[in-house]
Amino acid sequence: MSDNATVYRALKDVVDPEVGLNIVDLGLVYRVEIEQGAIAVLMTMTSPACPFGQSLAERAEAAVRRAFPAVDNVSVTLTHDPPWNPAMMSVEGKRILGIP
Amino acid sequence: MPYPYRIPLLALGMISLLLGLWSGLLRLGFDIPAPQPALPGLHGPLMIGGFLGTVIGLERAVALGRPWGYAAPLLSGTGSMLMLITGREREAAALITLASAVMVIIFAIQLSRHFTSYMITMAAGSAAWLAGNLLWLGGGVVSEFVLWWAAFLTLTIAGERLELSRLLGHSKKALALFGAAAAVFVAGVFLQSAAPAAGARLAGGGMILLAFWFWRHDIALVTVRQSGLTRFIAVCLLLGYGWLAAGGALALTAADWLPGPRYDAILHCVFLGFVFSMIFGHAPIIFPAIIGKPVVYTPWFYLHLAVLNISLAPRIAGDLAGGDSLVTHSGAVNAAAILLFLANTVTGIVRGVMRKS
Repeated sequence: MSDNATVYRALKDVVDPEVGLNIVDLGLVYRVEIEQGAIAVLMTMTSPACPFGQSLAERAEAAVRRAFPAVDNVSVTLTHDPPWNPAMMSVEGKRILGIP
Repeated sequence: MPYPYRIPLLALGMISLLLGLWSGLLRLGFDIPAPQPALPGLHGPLMIGGFLGTVIGLERAVALGRPWGYAAPLLSGTGSMLMLITGREREAAALITLASAVMVIIFAIQLSRHFTSYMITMAAGSAAWLAGNLLWLGGGVVSEFVLWWAAFLTLTIAGERLELSRLLGHSKKALALFGAAAAVFVAGVFLQSAAPAAGARLAGGGMILLAFWFWRHDIALVTVRQSGLTRFIAVCLLLGYGWLAAGGALALTAADWLPGPRYDAILHCVFLGFVFSMIFGHAPIIFPAIIGKPVVYTPWFYLHLAVLNISLAPRIAGDLAGGDSLVTHSGAVNAAAILLFLANTVTGIVRGVMRKS
């Protein structure tokens, strides 16, 4: 498994409990960059009014650190650009929620 | 604001809740000491302004991510403590009114960036809180502004649920129906100022429409088929909508809007059945967001939810049938349910800390 795939696999352990979906299938993970011993994740929340952003970002960082214990430089940044919309969910996420 | 600095603000909210419960037991007629002679009369302000206003204010401040946003929970929490110490409402009402003004400003900023139906709904909730607080500050009697406080909580919850439920994709027709239901409710709250009974009936109709809208469109209908905490949250929501509908039905068929048993039943359907069912479902998520510590869910959480819902039914029945003893004893069990919720939540936090270490 590539490092990139390992990061996404780790992020799938971070579940939004209100929805029962992980942040990857929810479409909240915008970008993963791995270069020279540093892992950077860019993610969003379903709404800018959501107070759980910091908490979810911390859980995402912890998940990546568990998957890459030798990497010191792990960062997770929150953005609302572009704003999230339901179309960003994965096929699996939509299947679980019963959305066509 | 770093997590540790938020804990004193949360503590102000929790103290307000505990003293609000104590106040409720005094009002039910229990012969227990009153740390503040005026405590029985402070039940509503403590529970709504002191507890819910502070915790929701904290939530909004965290979402905004700006230090000045924490002025809202600081003002409402401080106002609540002032009320407890002095026994007077006026100065506390001023501080809590300011808190709601800060919350309105928070939403004005968020609306300017994200003009969406859910943000409008939540912003309307904060405006309703401000309106109710201004009437309270102006010396109005509780029955004249309590529906504004109900609108604060109902619209805040409705907006949050609308935001989450958009994952399922709402048709324009569904959104229009939501808007219509919310409009009927808000129209009733406005009308109540001029024509109390008619306004309460219209607001009651709006509550029923909102409850049915959410029973049809909330994502809880999907997530209730999942497991663990996700299912628990869904069960809380679906039960809560039942109490909103019940309160609405009682209001819709009320002959008047005056303090008394039916009025008490309506308020407790909404504030206790609906709002606290929502709190029970929301707490395992919002506490970690505020204090940075996870709340480990266990099936024991169903116990406090069950105790609340099973004890509320006889309380409401007692109100409607003139059974004072039933109201008194059921009310005590309602309070016990909330204390059990706090105990289960603290236990969940301790479990989370122990797991991490």
